[in-house]
Order: sequence, then structure tokens, then C-alpha cells
Amino acid sequence: MTPLQLLPDALNASFKAVPAVMVSAMLLLFLGIGYVFRVADTEDLWVAGRSIGNVENGMAIGANWMSAASYLGMAALIALSGYYGLAYVVGWSTGYFILLIFLAAQMRRFGKYTAPDFVGDRFDSDAARAIAALTTILIGFVYSVGQARGMGLVGIYVFGGDYTTMVVLMMSITVGYLALSGMLGATKNMAVQYVILIVAFLAGLYAVGWTQGYSTILPHIEYGALLSELDSQFTEPFATDSFYLWVATAFSLIVGTCGLPHVLVRFYTVESERTARWSTVWGLFFICLLYWSAPAFAAFGTDLYANVVGPVYGANGMSGAEGDVIVVLASQLANLPEWFVGLVAAGGVAAAIATTAGLFISASSAAAHDIYTNIVNPDATQRQQLLIGRGTIVALGAVVTVTALDPPALVGELVALAFSLAGLVLFPMFFLGLWWENANRQGALAGMTTGLVIWTAAVLNELVLATDAGPVVPVYADVFPAVGAALAGTPIVFAVTIAVSLATEEPDERIKRIVRQCHSPEPMGQQESAEEVATDGGQVSAESQPSSDAESDGGPRRGE
Amino acid sequence: MYERILIPTDGSDTAAAAVDEALDVAEKFDAEVYTLYVVDVDAMDLSLGTEQVERVKAGRFGEMDELEAKARAATEYVAERGRERGVDVAEHFRAGRPHDVVADFAEDHDVDLLVMGSHGRSGVRRMLLGSVTERVLRSTHRSVLVVDERGTENREAE
Repeated sequence: MTPLQLLPDALNASFKAVPAVMVSAMLLLFLGIGYVFRVADTEDLWVAGRSIGNVENGMAIGANWMSAASYLGMAALIALSGYYGLAYVVGWSTGYFILLIFLAAQMRRFGKYTAPDFVGDRFDSDAARAIAALTTILIGFVYSVGQARGMGLVGIYVFGGDYTTMVVLMMSITVGYLALSGMLGATKNMAVQYVILIVAFLAGLYAVGWTQGYSTILPHIEYGALLSELDSQFTEPFATDSFYLWVATAFSLIVGTCGLPHVLVRFYTVESERTARWSTVWGLFFICLLYWSAPAFAAFGTDLYANVVGPVYGANGMSGAEGDVIVVLASQLANLPEWFVGLVAAGGVAAAIATTAGLFISASSAAAHDIYTNIVNPDATQRQQLLIGRGTIVALGAVVTVTALDPPALVGELVALAFSLAGLVLFPMFFLGLWWENANRQGALAGMTTGLVIWTAAVLNELVLATDAGPVVPVYADVFPAVGAALAGTPIVFAVTIAVSLATEEPDERIKRIVRQCHSPEPMGQQESAEEVATDGGQVSAESQPSSDAESDGGPRRGE
Repeated sequence: MYERILIPTDGSDTAAAAVDEALDVAEKFDAEVYTLYVVDVDAMDLSLGTEQVERVKAGRFGEMDELEAKARAATEYVAERGRERGVDVAEHFRAGRPHDVVADFAEDHDVDLLVMGSHGRSGVRRMLLGSVTERVLRSTHRSVLVVDERGTENREAE
């Protein structure tokens, strides 16, 4: 357990006017831009407006993806656990390759709205839809706890105060931001959030490297010179954690990336399969800008900590809370001006807010669309959906805040828990659902249940019910470590799904045709989804043509 | 007196309650009738995700079959009632915040009467679910005829 005492003296945790203004100004900027680019009255819903290109989509993927876990947590894990932390860099980047090769374009062809929609429609089962929706909400919850912790710690640095106050404050800001950006009709401005966070991170890295004489133009490579001076705990492979845990963590993060609803949702909506693929490539590039930098930042931070504060490892070493703000801490230890440290801190808040907003909206859509509208009340009006969605966000915000007051793990680890859940429950359904037409309802239900049980048991065993002596059942924790349960678990879920599908009846021909259509070499029109093509045999449905009266909206307006 | 009448609809029973009265008025004054369905982008943001709002923004509403079907079903109901009585109804679709869009549409088309249903909720239920009709009243300078859902039910029962 991480002691949640205040941050170290070195971090000078007190109210700072300039950084506080910077963080506030940044949040206002998000709202302002959202307001300017809000959805104005759409005159004609069927006439092509401004569509989002590959690069902008890639930035949106990057901002949605890179949370406090990437911005703060990854450097923290590398600083605290050395080589083990690299499993996060490797896992999170590799996940996008799997996504690119196996899922992005196919998801686009399937063409549904949400992740539970896919599971529900593909396996033709409301029970499967409900499990997927609940898993989505659970992922949002665990993932956001990590963000809340990160924001709370950065909040202490910027505004002073204690951890509890800051977590409550920052979460209120996040929920308020979501409500307000909704009220302004604003959609999240992901590209701006990405630019702010990447500029802040890279500027921090270059400034620390330059002023401390660690690096000049390419700190990502130059930090290598530092490795021989750092503790062996930092550089030696598998010194702190076992080989198995390393591989398990990396594997969990890879499959988890491909199962995260808030990541996948973008692929249903992009203009074409080509855009889906290129957006992924750009997204990966934008993500890598930060991922290449994090290990260097961690190395600089660790060395500065050793020189200025004291030994990094051992009984009086760096605490979890210190590690989680190593990026800000390093800038502070390098004696950079206060406004500059404020910029680095603001980047962390931007990262956390962008991702939390994405997660909360995934959760609210799981509740309002997938559970409420699709299962409970098919006649739900738009206003009822809005109400359920808002209720979900407020409730989730409250639960996350309370849990974050005493979180059971580091930012990066908390987020890894969400990944192992996504990798265990959702990834096998997406993968088999898209690639094996005989996967059926019974198989999906059995597989998802198995995944949920494995994950829940691992979390209870290691985090919730565990004592100081360690996990309740050590053997289980060895095979299914909570952060890496997917390595052993995902193959089991695959096996269960396949075995049950084989033992029961094949899905009907309609579903099989949809699956085949997702892989058809015939290019699909931009206006079509797999289901349409499968049902009407490739004819562009007449309904999607603009109707004559809708067109009249675009016509000359009558005078007042 | 009334030349252009607008019947906004969201496909609910509440909205449907206003249709007959609106058509009565239209017949009497031989007015043009518009019906408007507004895709509520706030609701869409929270129920389908921000990415879907971007999709609507890009003019790709045609890909979103279920939503399109829902929207068309709502306006088609009004058009059908109109056909039964020989009144032509022009169907329109827009996206945005319902009350703003309805008010703007009324300005754009120089509508002189809006006819809307009201669910007559009060207290907590009103606070939570709000009332688009109430907001339209506040955002437009045009005449509005509000038809209470429960009022029509009572009359039908009599």
C-alpha cells in the first residue's frame, strides 16, 4: 500500500499563483474552443460537412488514449521499478499494432455505435450486451480512479492543500467540465488537448535534460549515457519483478488496448476503412512521441532525486506518491522556473481530464444507450437518455472520487487493472466475433463470464482482501497477477468461448454473412455498414439518400 | 390568420397529442404545415458518445440507420395524420439543442404558430426531465399553442 502522506518538501507543495492561473486558463481554453466549435444547428443532416482527417483523428486517438497513466504513471513505474516499467511502454505501443492489423478496419465495416452494441448485435444477445455494458462501466471506474489519483497529486503541487481536498476538487472540475461542455454544445476538443500535453511533456524533458547537462537535441537516446550511473535496480532486467510478471503485464496491456471501449469507439465512426487504418498509424505516432520520451524523463528524474534528495531505493527511498509526480518533480529539482513547472503540471491535468471525459462518456453511453434504451425501455426519448447519461456521470464521478481517496495502487497499476479487465472480457469477444463466424451466443456468454470471474478473483485476492502478508492465495496471484491476469486468462477465455461455441448450435446465416462482409475485399461504400450490405445485397439503401423535403432546408431562406 | 404552422416532434406520445389540434387549425386557415424532428446532440453525446456527434457534424447521419428510422417515424406520423385530412405536411430534420433549433427554425421559415405537446409534469419529475416546450416558449417570440397531453386524454375519454 502506498502511504498517502503529503508530497516531499523538495516538491514545495503549496499554492502557486502562476501555475494555478495556467491550469485554470487551460481549462477555460478547452471550454472556449469547445464553444466556438460547438455543433451549430445542422441545416441538413445528409449533406457532407467538415469531416475529420487522419491526422486530427490520430491526435484525438492520442489524447483519448494518453491519460495521467501515460503522462505521469509510466515515468513513475520506470523510476520506481526500472526495467519492469518498460513492460508498460512496450505493451501500450504494441497494442495499437494488433488493433491496426486485426480490428480497426473490420470494426469500421461492422459499423455500430458502441462496444456493447457490437457484442450485443454480433452475438444476438441482450445478456451479452448487458455484460459488455457493465464491463465498460467497470473499466471506466477502475481507469478513472488512477486519473483521479494523478490529478489529486498534481493538484497538491499547484494549489497546495491536502490530498483529499485536491481529489475532490479535481474530480468536481472534471465532472463540471463534462456537464458544461455538454451545455455549451461543445464536443471534446481532443486535438487541442493532445497538443497541450505533448508540448508540456517534451518541453519538460528537453528543459530538464538541457539545464542539467544530460542531453542536447535527442534526450531519448542521450539518456543512455546515464544508465551506467544509475542504481542497478533501475537498469538491471528483472531485478525487482520476475520475468513472468514482465511478460504478463506486457501481454495484458497489449490485449487490453484492443478491448478498451473508449479507444475502439472512434473506429466505428471514421469515414472509411482507409481512414480507420491511417488514423491508427497517426495515433500510434502521436502516442510514441510521448512514449519515447517517458523513459528518458524517468532516468533524469531518478538521477536528480538521487543527487538532490537521497537514495531512490530502499526503506527511505522514493515513495509511490513521489514517483507518481516524478515528471513534475524532475522539473522542480532541475530548478526550472515556476511557470515552467506549472506548464508540465498543466499537461498532466490535460491528459487526465481528456481521458476521464472519454471514459465517463463511454460509461454513460453503456448505461443510457446499451442498457436503458436497448434493453429496459426501447421507446426511450432523447431526453430520458440524456437524464440517464447525466445520472451515470455524476454517480460514477462520486464513486471514483471516494475510491481515489485511498487507492490501492499506483496510477499506472490502477490503469493496468482496467486493461487486464478489457483484455479478459472484451478483447476475446471482439477478436473472435470479427474473425470466427461460428462464435455464438453461448460461447460469448461463457467466455465473458469466465473472464469476469478470473479478473474479480485476482483483484480480490491481491488488492481488496489481501493483508500485509500478501495475497490470500499466493499461487493464484503468481499465475494471475491482477495487473497481468490476461496472460494466463485470455487464452482460457478464448478456449472456453471456442469450446462452448463448438458444442452448441452455430449462429444463423444472417450473422455469418455480417461477419464475412467485415472482411470482404469488395470496397464498401462510405455510407454502408456490414449489416446493410448483408441484408440488402449490396444495394445502397434508398433511405440514405436525402429526401426532397430535407433538401428544402438548404434552400434560400424566406425573409423575415 | 395563421399561414405557416410548425409542429415539432420527438416521436413521443406527448408530441403526438398536439398533432390533431395543430391540423385542425391548419385546415381552418388553410395554412402550410411543417413538422420538425431535432436530433438532440447533448443526448447523443452522452448516449452514443462524442464521436457520433462528430459524425452528425460531418453530415453522415445517413449511416446511422436506427436513428434515422426513429426520426423519420416521428415525422411520418405527423405527415400521415395530415394526409388523412388532406393537409400537406413538409418533413424537416435538424440537429442541435432542441429548443434553440425549434426557435431558429420558426424564424427561418417565418412560422406564425408553433403547436407543441406538454406532458404536464410537475415537481421533481419536471425538474429532472425538463420540458422542451417550456424552453421553446422562452426562446421564441412567435405564438405557441401548448396542448396538454392529459387534457386530450380526458377529452377523448368523455
